[in-house]
Amino acid sequence: MQEILQHTVNAMVLGSTYALLGIGLTIIFGIMRVVNFAHGELYTLGAYVAYGMVALLNLDFFSSILVAATVGMLIGALIEFAFLRRKDLKNIDEVMLIMIGIMIIMQNLELMVWGGVAKIIPTPFSQDPISFGDVSISPTRLFVFSIAAILLFIFYLGIERTRFGLAIRATFQDQDAARIVGVNVKAIYTLTFALGSAMAAVAGALLAPMFVATPLMGDLASLKAFAIVILGGLGSLGGAAIGGFLLAFIEEFGASYISSAYRDAFGFLVIIIVMLFRPQGLFAAKERVG
Amino acid sequence: MLKLENVTVCYGATEAVKNVSMEVMEGEFVTLIGANGAGKSTTLRAISGLEPVRSGRILFEGDPIQNAAPQDIIRLGIAHCPEGRRVFPQLTVRENLEMGAFRRNDRQTIKADIDRMLGMFPRLAERIRQSAGTLSGGEQQMLAIARSLMSRPRLVMFDEPSLGLAPNFVEQVFKLVSEICEGGTTVLMVEQNAYAALDLCDRSYLLSTGEVMLSGTADEMLNNQDVRRIYLGGDAA
Repeated sequence: MQEILQHTVNAMVLGSTYALLGIGLTIIFGIMRVVNFAHGELYTLGAYVAYGMVALLNLDFFSSILVAATVGMLIGALIEFAFLRRKDLKNIDEVMLIMIGIMIIMQNLELMVWGGVAKIIPTPFSQDPISFGDVSISPTRLFVFSIAAILLFIFYLGIERTRFGLAIRATFQDQDAARIVGVNVKAIYTLTFALGSAMAAVAGALLAPMFVATPLMGDLASLKAFAIVILGGLGSLGGAAIGGFLLAFIEEFGASYISSAYRDAFGFLVIIIVMLFRPQGLFAAKERVG
Repeated sequence: MLKLENVTVCYGATEAVKNVSMEVMEGEFVTLIGANGAGKSTTLRAISGLEPVRSGRILFEGDPIQNAAPQDIIRLGIAHCPEGRRVFPQLTVRENLEMGAFRRNDRQTIKADIDRMLGMFPRLAERIRQSAGTLSGGEQQMLAIARSLMSRPRLVMFDEPSLGLAPNFVEQVFKLVSEICEGGTTVLMVEQNAYAALDLCDRSYLLSTGEVMLSGTADEMLNNQDVRRIYLGGDAA
């Protein structure tokens, strides 16, 4: 029982960052119908920005996450503005190639700037775990979970309670009707891409101290983001949040009770099963036609 | 108030609207009639800035507005109630109305306007917290009309507001549109049901394969032999 509780705690921590990663990807897809292949690279970017701030510029760990989010947001806005704004997004092949190109460029830039050696991000937290009865959690993990949970909550409030959130939801549901009532859909595109990118960058900055930062960490992150989004249903925000936690639980429990060597494989196994039996994802709304 | 001069709109290589010229005067109720695919909806979409105008000019109060962004056009006072209602299905009735006022910044008057709409449409008031997708077709049409009025337009364009509605709702919608016009808002309405359209409006334009075939007052159109033969089919369809 204690063991299960411990794994649940671990899965919640991981799941909160996965949820951020998945929502970031799905909001871009939901609004723009663009599959952001560079999502994992924005995640990597977040991790390296955090590393650079803490290790090289001696900035404190908390501010570094804020800087990572800001840089992710700016780079996301730049990508949308420079490469997608003038494109016909319905031309899926072209847009896909653009996004894959951006991914390759970003990944190689990361390798060039930071080198191939993994970087460890120092945190101000003690290594001694905090115990709650039988369950213990490292302070770093508790911090990661808290920040991710707060961000998810802020995101939820922003989407559900603000004018900008209302415009995002309206655009999500019927882009043409949104234009008719006067939503500047192009501006929404840029903002959405910036927001989605910032979420990936924050996920990277939060997760990196638990693991390490490497130039190729984005590949697996991209794959996992897709897995999360597919689990939840493409374009479903709530689905992506649940999908993130689901994937974390599958990985954590699969690694603990079946084989830790296949940790990353369990998630994808479940994706295959979901795709076979419920290809629209577990929580997808029905696709609207016309 | 609104004037189109030789407007041409293309979808790829096909000209959906060819050299269309027309005019709507302040306070008028003008209809666009014609068969499916005649370019009626495309004309409205071009006025709203949703489709690019290939050539020609669209003037609103004398100023050219062709190819302006939709959000700028709605700010000028032109609202568009689109074909097929297009309410936001997962937003509540209230949120849909709020979206109609998206380009306005006067919070207090927006609230008052929502209350006014709910007074006008008691059915919507009952369903204010429901998501729009759960409404009946007729209720969704009411919501679409109310949403288009939320921008406080001076000219409102209705695209086939009666399409797919039960007969009692059709009557209600037409009555409503007439009342909106009588209230001082200029109306441009696209309608496939030529008889109903001519019964309501002041003037009408008949479009066929993207061109204006005929125009005139409702009476002139009703008495035109070709219109009678082709579009009215002899009986009150």
